[in-house]
Amino acid sequence: MKLTRRDFAKGAATAAGLSALPLARPAFAQTEPLRIGWLAALTGPSSAPAIGFDRGVKFATDAINAAGGVKGRKIEIVTRDTQGDPTKAVNATQELISQAKVHAIWGPTNSGESLATTPIMARAKMPNIHPCVIDTLIDPQKFPNAFRITPSNSQWDDAVRTYAVKVLKAKKVAVLADTTGYGVAAVKASVAGLQKDGAEVVYQANIDATQPDLTPDMLRAKTAGAEVIIVWSTSTGLNARMFNTRAAMGWDVPFVGHPSMSAGDIPKLLEKPGNWDKVYAVGYRSCSFDANGKLPARTQELVDKLKGKVDLSDTLMWWVAGGIDAVNLIAKAVGDSSSSSDDIIKIWNSLSNYPGYFGDITFSATEHNGYPVNDVVMSAANTAKDGMFRLAPGY
Amino acid sequence: MLTSIISTGLAMGAIYALIGITYNTMYSTSRVMSFTAGQLGMLGGVFGALFILRFGINSVVGFGLTMMVCAFIGVVTELVAVRPVLKSIEQHLYVLSTLALALMISQVVAIEWSTEPQAFPRFFGTAAALIDEKFWFPVAACAATVIGLEVLYKHTLTGRAFKAVAEDNLAAQALGLPERNLRIASYALAAMIGGLAGFSGGSLLLAFVANGGLLNFYGFVPVALGGLGNNRGAIVGGFGLGLFQQAASFLVGGIFASVAVFSLFIIVLLIAPQGLFGAPQSRRV
Repeated sequence: MKLTRRDFAKGAATAAGLSALPLARPAFAQTEPLRIGWLAALTGPSSAPAIGFDRGVKFATDAINAAGGVKGRKIEIVTRDTQGDPTKAVNATQELISQAKVHAIWGPTNSGESLATTPIMARAKMPNIHPCVIDTLIDPQKFPNAFRITPSNSQWDDAVRTYAVKVLKAKKVAVLADTTGYGVAAVKASVAGLQKDGAEVVYQANIDATQPDLTPDMLRAKTAGAEVIIVWSTSTGLNARMFNTRAAMGWDVPFVGHPSMSAGDIPKLLEKPGNWDKVYAVGYRSCSFDANGKLPARTQELVDKLKGKVDLSDTLMWWVAGGIDAVNLIAKAVGDSSSSSDDIIKIWNSLSNYPGYFGDITFSATEHNGYPVNDVVMSAANTAKDGMFRLAPGY
Repeated sequence: MLTSIISTGLAMGAIYALIGITYNTMYSTSRVMSFTAGQLGMLGGVFGALFILRFGINSVVGFGLTMMVCAFIGVVTELVAVRPVLKSIEQHLYVLSTLALALMISQVVAIEWSTEPQAFPRFFGTAAALIDEKFWFPVAACAATVIGLEVLYKHTLTGRAFKAVAEDNLAAQALGLPERNLRIASYALAAMIGGLAGFSGGSLLLAFVANGGLLNFYGFVPVALGGLGNNRGAIVGGFGLGLFQQAASFLVGGIFASVAVFSLFIIVLLIAPQGLFGAPQSRRV
């Protein structure tokens, strides 16, 4: 066939026209699974929270996938066991970002790991939700990709101080903690907050978790006239010894403070079950029974759904609920956007009163602490049932 | 206050004294300070709780099993961490080898047992006020150990052989004493004394992995105060330490009690570097 000048002009025009059309996106981009990285300390000494969160993660994933996924896309959880080790958490984070190419990451589940992984995720602009309490982990300027769906340490401190000063009406307070870095920092913050609120801190001390006899410190607090003892320690042994010592002294001062005071290990370390009375630990309104033994409606609905599927007897309800909320929040952000990192972060930045099972989550461009501070409450430590507690008196 | 200082102070003092004797018993036949002594105290508590509470074994049988396991760990210590470095003892490699073994023991317990303290069973079931066994059991265990060692060293052939090896290793070998077997036996004996410290103090210290480091540290103080290898010195030093530590807790409170204890420790060593009961080192001139 002889190519004429007219044929060439036609062909060139056609080619130019086709090139002007936008290229269609590959079809797999819309149907590929939604990959969520899950940094969980599933083994090792601090594995209890991650095991609880993991039950929620699996429950939420199965529920969404059974209902057809997120706009037809199945959720795929890419779990990495960090064993509570920051080095392993860093390696897993890099692998999730560069090789597994996840859309968002949930976790790590403890602050030590999160301190190491947060800057790495920020550099990669990886959307990240975590449940770690250290205040500095959330900073929308430095880490615009990091969001917290649980209370921060200062929110715990606010709740404890408010309960001690305003509900129990204590004017003289003692503050005790262990000798870890956390304990030392917590005492300083707690004392400063109490003094700002007009309470008198009559005794403060950091006690080694191995100290066998706490009579000296408890006696000093009693002699100083303490009406409430605020405790900041993750050591169940130290907590139980305080409760036993209080009973041996015949003192009925209330203890208010860290959630570990309600840990399931405590009863085995008590000399009498009654030594656990008048102990109020940080808890959450969504996971608390009221005076009539009733749960909030949304939580009751979740408990009914979990029945027979998720074991709540050896974990805390807020861990399971937090795991469910994390997966749901990522699914919502992907469902409402193109699933790019920027879009996921944009959706979360505009989230207002998202009805999570753990709490109503609200984020903005300048506030990435999403948990409602008024939902941090005090629980009666010795009332655990299915991972939930009765509200402390006064609510 | 005085009651608490005496009851808890004596109980803790007895535990420290037993750990001091553990250090000394290992040292006497090998000239090695084995830093597994405190870990053996911790294991006495952990294995006691494991056998009696978790496995539901009878208390007396559980105690016997605990002693056997501790003795086995003592033998392993001698084989793994002491014997290989004895030839170059002047290089003090045993510091590294025994510390490494202590660290391994601690890590395994943390992973397999728990990092949190666990309950320890009442052996005699007395838990009321001053007759609470947590106060008198460690003191009674310490007294029984002292009497037992006196009988062993003074009235048995094996005990005399121990003393012979401790006093002059080469001469003992020349006399045909089985020095190696005696050293293994002394490590097993020391480990049982360490285990007894943790078992008798279990109600006070609980079954807690962190007790290993605590006992390693505070158990060494009576050895240094009383003079290396001197059991009487370790007993006096141990009880003195326990009472002073508890009194300091009342007087200065919290972590400052540890500061007070170690300030006194340094002052004593400045005045008597060989320990309160140790003989000054002689030097050939």
